[in-house]
Amino acid sequence: MKSMKVWSTGAAGAAMLLASSAMTPSAAETLNIPGLQNGTIGFVLTSSAWGLYQTPDGKAECPEGFNEGPREQFKALYPNGGTVEGTQLERESAARYPMDKEDNFAYREVKGAVGIGMNLDGKVGANDFTSPDGVKGVDNQLYRAIGCTRLFRGPDGTYAHFTEMWVREMGFNRVLVELTGVDSLENDPQVDVTLYRGKDKLITDASGANIIAGGSNRVEDRFSKRFTKTLKGKIENGVLVTAPADLDWVWSVFYDHPGYYGIKQARLQLNLAPAGDRAEGMIAGYTTIDTFYQQLVRAWSTHHSSYGGLSQPSLFRALHRLADGIPDEKGAMTALSSSIQVKFVQSFIEHPDAKVAAVESTTKTTVEPARR
Amino acid sequence: MSCSEGASERKVASAPAVTPADYHGTVAHVRRITPEQYQNTVHYIFGRDLEVGNPFAPLRRTDGLVAAGAASAGVTTGELQQLQRSASSIAAQVVDKGNIEQKTPSRRDFLVPCKPADPAVADDACAAKFISQTSRLLYRRPLPDARVTELVATAHKGTTDLKDFYAGLGTVLEGMLIDPKVLLIADVVEPDPAHPGKQRLDAYSLASRLSFFLWNAAPDDALLKAAEKGDLFDAKKRAKIVEMMIASPRLEDGVRAFFDDMFGFEDFANLAKDPTAYPMMTGAVIKDAREQTLRTIVEHLLVEKKDYRDLYTTRSTFMSPALATVYQVPTKPGWVPYEFPKDSPRVGLLTQISFLALGAHPARSSPTYRGKALREKMLCQKVPAPPANVDFSALENPAASHRTQRDRVDFHLQNPVCAGCHKITDPMGLVLENFDGAGRFRTTEKGAVIDVTGTLDGKNVDGPAQLGQAMHDHPALTSCLVRRLYSYGTGGPLTRGDNPAIEALNKAFGETGYRVPDLLRMIANSDAFYEVIATPVEQKSADAGAAQSAAAH
Repeated sequence: MKSMKVWSTGAAGAAMLLASSAMTPSAAETLNIPGLQNGTIGFVLTSSAWGLYQTPDGKAECPEGFNEGPREQFKALYPNGGTVEGTQLERESAARYPMDKEDNFAYREVKGAVGIGMNLDGKVGANDFTSPDGVKGVDNQLYRAIGCTRLFRGPDGTYAHFTEMWVREMGFNRVLVELTGVDSLENDPQVDVTLYRGKDKLITDASGANIIAGGSNRVEDRFSKRFTKTLKGKIENGVLVTAPADLDWVWSVFYDHPGYYGIKQARLQLNLAPAGDRAEGMIAGYTTIDTFYQQLVRAWSTHHSSYGGLSQPSLFRALHRLADGIPDEKGAMTALSSSIQVKFVQSFIEHPDAKVAAVESTTKTTVEPARR
Repeated sequence: MSCSEGASERKVASAPAVTPADYHGTVAHVRRITPEQYQNTVHYIFGRDLEVGNPFAPLRRTDGLVAAGAASAGVTTGELQQLQRSASSIAAQVVDKGNIEQKTPSRRDFLVPCKPADPAVADDACAAKFISQTSRLLYRRPLPDARVTELVATAHKGTTDLKDFYAGLGTVLEGMLIDPKVLLIADVVEPDPAHPGKQRLDAYSLASRLSFFLWNAAPDDALLKAAEKGDLFDAKKRAKIVEMMIASPRLEDGVRAFFDDMFGFEDFANLAKDPTAYPMMTGAVIKDAREQTLRTIVEHLLVEKKDYRDLYTTRSTFMSPALATVYQVPTKPGWVPYEFPKDSPRVGLLTQISFLALGAHPARSSPTYRGKALREKMLCQKVPAPPANVDFSALENPAASHRTQRDRVDFHLQNPVCAGCHKITDPMGLVLENFDGAGRFRTTEKGAVIDVTGTLDGKNVDGPAQLGQAMHDHPALTSCLVRRLYSYGTGGPLTRGDNPAIEALNKAFGETGYRVPDLLRMIANSDAFYEVIATPVEQKSADAGAAQSAAAH
């Protein structure tokens, strides 16, 4: 993936591109960017995963090992079995009402020093991580809470595996990002970044394995206006960053169950490919405990949790214990710093009030510029 | 809508006289029915939900048309086995009693026009009714009574043996579906009373010729009735019938089939692109590329009734989500009308993915293929085949300094053995080099800016728009269409004897402003369309005519 390597390194990458193709700067300026029309370029989400820094054996970040789940806890609690009501249903109840009973199981948190995310509070504290490329003060308490639970770890933890798969295959979690007021994908001090929920399928390439750039996706605004959010942003050396804002990040869990994560003070950081066909990076902010846990309880059964060592009652306590943001009126923290790693491909975004853009395109900037 | 319905109220366009006095008619042919014609016919008779399959072997393209190759095709033993399987399946579907659990309809209830008193016992009257009605449409003419009686007896025996009336009927239908007289379209001829000493198609053969020409299917009930009454030999009545056929929605099937054939779109079935070089070229793109061009043609020629030549300069087309990823434009789900911007290099059919991707290698473009296709498919010119010992090494392993296709094909021009033909194809193929082997727009190749200047028959062109205009103005463009349509309509390759009719049609086509519906009308109404020469069969016996005619060919 040489091209990915080139563009993902921002300004240095652009320099490499120029050098490698022996193009003149003026030629580089005329790089064809089909997706950028009238200062607008859209992207559609093709991959997302909670930002978890993982070493191959997990020992660096989880020296105590991984968490035990429903099977192990069930065995410990009911060594001699019991009635359905007294055992199975009791544990199901505990997942939904985790504070009704005590939970004395040990819970393994991430102990490593490296984490993926952003410095959300501008400070470098004792609980902060250092990013893989050396940025200090990274806030990611959600990683600390779920990073030692196999369910969430990629690539084969069931939560990680399925959510990644469903981003492509399901319809509800179609995240669109539209940049407007764009003068350059390399540097632009002011752009608007709007998130929408889309409603069309993604188009794969000839291999069937990759989502191809250049598709079109319609904005779903009948039921999904809550997911529309405009952020203020800027582009520096090919990297888009946005100012913090609260938003609901649409997320589909388990066969199209509609859902979302409430992310407070969220900000996007995306490396934009010079050709405008791809973007990747992360969204970081404070994910509310309520929405995170609700997603699990609503859609992640004990059956599936058992395969990944996830005890929902134990996790619930960890989430509250590790929460580091958005205090309530009593001062209790209600959210955890977090990051989601995301990948996008360029997509033309069709707005509901637009007529058939194709027919009107004579009035737009040409997509395929006339030969000079 | 029936054939004659509403025809009397409809204004009948005038059909210019296009048959010169010295013209003696077309050669009578026996041609094999094409897969599409077979399917369209079965669907017309029994409904579009029937699974027909594709039991036919490919036909050899002859004189620019697959349809013309049907006049010299046979049916092999293997193909006959496939046909038998398909016929068995069709017959079973027609007499199926349905199954609610499997959600299959009881087709027998509406496709068999009567019900036996006891479904386990033979009912000759009911069988005769079904066989008479169905055979007339399948054979494109009524069967002699004696033959119907034979088939009823066969159904009777089948019912008795199988203790199932519908199973017995099914065996007869299966036999009809693979009868050579159904599979081979024979021109049955008779003396022309209006022109003593000349021959003409008999009324049913003329009905078939009209129907396969305009609808790509066998005649419907109304057209057969018109043939039965002799209306097709009355110029005024035939003009009304032709007018109705042109007004029918089924004309779209015919026009699509013709252009699909003329442009060699059967090659889409084998089109494969290197997914590494062209990851965007999915199966959906390939399927939609064919459809896009056919939609463009139908809209332009039949709906808008525009000048045929403008197909090479139009910016109007249709777009699908899959195609939009290659054209790199926004679109909406489904097929939507699309207009390329005025400063876009996409102008006309030559810049559509169908032409560009078919005229290319799996992993690179081909100015030679594109130039050859342009000349042979659209201008009816013949490009000689390459010599058997041609050296492709310079193309397959080009020198590093050869960055563009122009650099690489220039090699041909240095070799006198290659130069002769490549001068015919490359100068206009290079004009389309702004489009890669998938048809995607580009301005550079391996870092070098692509030069898209070229020539077409002495006319200098710079870029696809000018090439489209040069095609528009090329005199061979319209005469080629006339030749192909006439050949397509008469069911075989043209002969020298057809030239007077072709010349007359060329002139008349120009006078209509190159409107294709007018050309269809003129061909269908011309005396040349039903006058025939060198008749292999000179009797009207429907029973023996087709078989004898087939044997003679």
